[in-house]
Amino acid sequence: MTTLIHRPEYAGYDFGPAHPFTPSRIAMVLDLIRCLGHAAPTLAAPSATREEILSVHDEAYVAMVEALDRGETPPSAEAFGLGTPDNPIFPDMDPATRWLVGGTLHGARLLMAGTETRVLQLGGGLHHAQRDRAAGFCLYNDLAVAIRAFVDHGWRVAYLDIDLHHGDGVQKLFYDHEKVLTLSLHETGHYLYPGTGHIQELGSGPARGLSVNIPFEPFTESESYLEAFEDVVPRTLEQFSPQVLVVQAGADAHFADLMGDLALTTQAFERLYRRILELAGEHAQGRVLVTLGGGYDAQVTARIWTILYLTLMDLPIPDRLPAEWLERWQHLLGDDVGATLHDPEPAFPAFPGREERNRRNRDVVARLLDSLLRYWL
Amino acid sequence: MLVKEVMRKPVTVVQVGATLGEANELMLSRSFRHLPVVDQGRLVGVLTDRDIRYATSSLCPMPRSAGDPVALAMSRHPLTADPLDPMEDAARIMREHKIGCLPVLDGDELVGILTGMDLLDALMTLTGVTKPSSRLEVTLKDQPGELARLTAFLAGRHVNVHSILTYPTPDSTVRTVLRVDSQQIRPLAEDLREAGFTILWPLPTSRPNP
Repeated sequence: MTTLIHRPEYAGYDFGPAHPFTPSRIAMVLDLIRCLGHAAPTLAAPSATREEILSVHDEAYVAMVEALDRGETPPSAEAFGLGTPDNPIFPDMDPATRWLVGGTLHGARLLMAGTETRVLQLGGGLHHAQRDRAAGFCLYNDLAVAIRAFVDHGWRVAYLDIDLHHGDGVQKLFYDHEKVLTLSLHETGHYLYPGTGHIQELGSGPARGLSVNIPFEPFTESESYLEAFEDVVPRTLEQFSPQVLVVQAGADAHFADLMGDLALTTQAFERLYRRILELAGEHAQGRVLVTLGGGYDAQVTARIWTILYLTLMDLPIPDRLPAEWLERWQHLLGDDVGATLHDPEPAFPAFPGREERNRRNRDVVARLLDSLLRYWL
Repeated sequence: MLVKEVMRKPVTVVQVGATLGEANELMLSRSFRHLPVVDQGRLVGVLTDRDIRYATSSLCPMPRSAGDPVALAMSRHPLTADPLDPMEDAARIMREHKIGCLPVLDGDELVGILTGMDLLDALMTLTGVTKPSSRLEVTLKDQPGELARLTAFLAGRHVNVHSILTYPTPDSTVRTVLRVDSQQIRPLAEDLREAGFTILWPLPTSRPNP
């Protein structure tokens, strides 16, 4: 069983109708779960306090978000990443984000109290937010606040990020922390935002070897992605031996997501979720805290995160999408949505250059492991 | 980028009367490879770890020992740079003469040292990613106003540019690589295409057969 964290206030984290990071993504998941007959009670967590936000963010940055909420227009807002095309200013940003952070943090507390082993936060995953600035649709870093709480509790934390984009904010906040392992799988930063996440970023000081990045070639498909995952993630977790696994489960590495160029299918995501649960069982005493993240094609995120939910709840994955749901969300689903929860197989014709791409991915993994072994031996 | 922004300072030196053993000890302990040699404050030579190895090797016609003065192994009249020289001029001198460092002199005063490693650091600063950003790669015509047209378009979208690199291509166009402060690079690229720009990355939304 899995505890589900959500509350209606999450919908307040909304950059506006033209912005891709829209709260309707979560509403569609909740409705799909309900239409499939698998609705479970959700737990409404308290908002994070200002002090809890300050456990990872600078006071000056938080004060800037608060000033913008009061309607002030400080000229230096953009220096904090606010009021940019990615992070436009919206009403009540501070409280809206604190609800999300509070949910992820509450999930962490349930795990620390020992009352739960699996928590799914239906929101959050704001992995780009940095100590002193907003970045890439992320205002406060809910993942980092939760990780900080685990660390203060004395736990070793493994962070696993399967979003399309590098989990740069979390990596940077714990880059020299010997109790935090960060593992990110993403499309290579040579092309894609945020431009980091290269295999040479290995952590510093006592945390050397505890920052692990697997950058993939554009157009990488499921098989090559899962192969790299198996080559790196299990042995890294075994080596580090964490007490909890924190997972940012962005869905934008799907082939239909236009934010980038990775090409996973829903079947690959299900496989990833099952492996993550197995690995949490083998290396983290079964404790896993999962958040959402990126994902910008409504019909894709709804299906993928429903599969995530069903997998975490140990429920069977039904074949078909309910007609009622398809009808209700028609205006957001577009023409590409099929009749099934999973992608059709094959989901798309093969991209040219697959062998070359897979070889390059394997070479990257080999170089990464060469570097990591120096710190593990 | 000027030499004074890239050079290492303060610079560690040896006196001309120091021994090869002392100089070797200093380079080993500080893990560097180039030592300016000074006589009463004036630069008189450069001693490298390779100079020491050769001078004390049995392959050298007159092998020196650890107690000999550095003056017997150093290069005299070294090439130097001025702190206000552009970095690329210093790089050109080092490349042409195949040397690993340039002492930096302001008049007669030794104010720093520039090594190949410092040039690599400068390259990383120029090309690296210091803030979260996306890559946009554009082919521009080699004519006045092209870059201005591109940056004006980005300014109109309120997109901040973190860095720009341009370099000439064999077909007489200018390859321009920008790092811009936005995750939403694909719609931006589509709009640029519509405005008549040739965008090399990201690829068009209609991908190879999805």
